[in-house]
Amino acid sequence: MKEVIAVVRMNMMNQTKEALTKAGADAFFAHEAQGRGKGFVNPKVLEGTKEGYEEAASLLGAKGQLYPKRLVTVVVRDELVDDVVQALIVTNQTGRSGDGKIFVLPMADAVRVRTGESGSKSIV
Amino acid sequence: MLTMIRAIVRPEKADKVLAALMDAGFPSVTKYSVAGRGKQRGIKIGDVTYDEIPKVMLMSVINPADKEFVIETIMKTAKSGSKGAFGDGKIFVSDVEEAYTISSGVREIAFASAGVAP
Repeated sequence: MKEVIAVVRMNMMNQTKEALTKAGADAFFAHEAQGRGKGFVNPKVLEGTKEGYEEAASLLGAKGQLYPKRLVTVVVRDELVDDVVQALIVTNQTGRSGDGKIFVLPMADAVRVRTGESGSKSIV
Repeated sequence: MLTMIRAIVRPEKADKVLAALMDAGFPSVTKYSVAGRGKQRGIKIGDVTYDEIPKVMLMSVINPADKEFVIETIMKTAKSGSKGAFGDGKIFVSDVEEAYTISSGVREIAFASAGVAP
């Protein structure tokens, strides 16, 4: 069993949900988060600065600004990991920085509370 | 193999920790709000017990070699006073088997420890 944690853009949630269902991972868990990456400059802000907006210039000076993101957590069986990761990449990729990251972590066990069954049976 | 650091810190300390990490060359962090209690079973004031205390979770994925340094940095900045106090938080470390950058679709082998835009 693996835990797939993805940081994605806020406006990509609907596509992400559909893609996860298609990839066979119906169950997931998401919450709002803020984050920053390697610190690439937002191209829109750069444009604004060129056009002479003072607000944009002040944003450019701000170091390590946090952008709103969604954190999607999916627990999947080992054989589904590649499909889920590919689905997340394909749907969330715009090619610009800020698309997000995907992390794959080992997950020791999972238990379905309703029935008490554990292991991969509990997450099908 | 990469390492995920998840730190639960006081909300008022989060900005300080984020700034310290940025200065130390670890710009990539995700932050979200959580609520929880610790060993002290929350805070009891008079007859009322508060056991859902708001905290901030900071998540960062780094190279295993930088683990010690990042933990040290968070520890130093998130502590209250020099001795620390109950409720300062916890740091959890876990292994990340794979990491992908969505914009390029590249599977990351290692993250640069000094986050400078190319």
